[in-house]
Amino acid sequence: MEAVLAGRGLHKAFAIPSVRRTTVREHLFGLFARPSWERLEVLSGVTFELRAGETLAILGRNGSGKSTLLRILAGIYTADAGEVERQAPITPILELGVGWNPELDAVDNVYLIGAVMGLARREVRAALDEILAFAELERFANLKLQHYSSGMAARLAYSVAFHAVREVLILDEIFAVGDVRFRARCEERYRQLSRQGCSVLLVTHDMRVVRTFCDRALLLEGGRIAAFGGAAAVADAYIEVVGAPPAPPPGRE
Amino acid sequence: MPLAADRTPFGDLLWTLVRTDFKSRYHASAAGFVWAMLKPLAMFVVLLAVFSFIFAADPDYRLNLIVGLFLWDFFNESTRAGLTALHAKGFLLSKARFPSWVVVVASAANALLTLLVFAVLVVAFLAAAGRAPSPLAIAGFAFYVLNLLAIVIGFSLAASVLFLRYRDLNQIWDLALQAGFFLAPVVYPLGMIPERFHLWLYLWPPTPIIQFSRQVLVAGSAPSARGHLLLAAASVASLAIGVMVFRRHAPRAAEYL
Repeated sequence: MEAVLAGRGLHKAFAIPSVRRTTVREHLFGLFARPSWERLEVLSGVTFELRAGETLAILGRNGSGKSTLLRILAGIYTADAGEVERQAPITPILELGVGWNPELDAVDNVYLIGAVMGLARREVRAALDEILAFAELERFANLKLQHYSSGMAARLAYSVAFHAVREVLILDEIFAVGDVRFRARCEERYRQLSRQGCSVLLVTHDMRVVRTFCDRALLLEGGRIAAFGGAAAVADAYIEVVGAPPAPPPGRE
Repeated sequence: MPLAADRTPFGDLLWTLVRTDFKSRYHASAAGFVWAMLKPLAMFVVLLAVFSFIFAADPDYRLNLIVGLFLWDFFNESTRAGLTALHAKGFLLSKARFPSWVVVVASAANALLTLLVFAVLVVAFLAAAGRAPSPLAIAGFAFYVLNLLAIVIGFSLAASVLFLRYRDLNQIWDLALQAGFFLAPVVYPLGMIPERFHLWLYLWPPTPIIQFSRQVLVAGSAPSARGHLLLAAASVASLAIGVMVFRRHAPRAAEYL
């Protein structure tokens, strides 16, 4: 099957300064002290493909490189080595709940987020009622975001992205937001998108989601692919990795 | 590499950014905008009250002051907004990839709007004093504003990506602006300064912009062709350097947020 999105040999490391200098003052006064860096390798050689129409889950412990991988695929971060091949437009939903202008109301925020997600103003205007209805926020359309609860803000973000999506959707922690009713509506919308032939890449810690919605899954462990294959098999592997008690430190009884 | 955001019409993205900036800044009201204009106006009244005694001999002092002051105000406001533009829109940069230079360009819009309103006021003021500027003078003035805009956007492009790495650049720039207010001939006539220092003062971009604008609007004379060429060259150079620095650092901007 045709790949709509592929990562080939993706590497990413962050240089974490032991003493972080973020100002000109610190750089000036630190001229004579040699900066020391710690290299934190987050991804080391990740290769995979997202096929047209499939849903692929990315699993892994906290800190295994999932979010970094999503950001590289979405074009927000640049990989140190390796290539991303994008054959179709990608709509990412990352860092939900945060990422609003708190001084603007819901309507203006929807325009703002819609614009960076690829919607024309005309399209936002046409979909506005539907977006607010999906998030069940019609009553609060003119309320500034600073008065929203985090759940309400996240619902709004999903709603915009679900309307913006065209072919490929990248989701961080889907179905973990909102109440039962909203989650059910998200699942319904997801099924609809899936029927339309959208491809979805999602990060989740919920094995029910993996087993119900995903065709394949990829397990990241320490920035490498530890398992890649059918969703159910990889979900089992994930539970083994996470469930295993941490190895006892060496040299202790 | 298609990304969804590449589909948003460029004008729509710019317009949405400008509009939402305006709204969150002035609380979506015309009164808020008028309120914001009161700040430079109040500054004008204070400076006029103080300095018109010192420069009582100069009949054009008041006109020169207002031309200098509102051009300075634009430079001050837009460079400060430009420097922090990417940081202020970090919540969008971490969400999706889109042409982030649009954010920097949009940051100058509010100050530009104030500048345009002031320009209309000043021309009306001149006309009321029986010295309405000729269309050619207004065209010349528009050319200077365009050059100032190019210099400001060039600065903002470079400064906005560097600010993400050096988080005290805004404090350093504030200091530079404080000194720069007196380096540019805003409250004093340039003629006061010995001729041999003029070249150095002209290196500070607001100086030629203010001086040339005063010449065409107030004095009714034209600056030299050489002056115009140098100004245009400086604008192009500023824009080019800004674009270069931005293109080098912007791809990794999201990692420094």
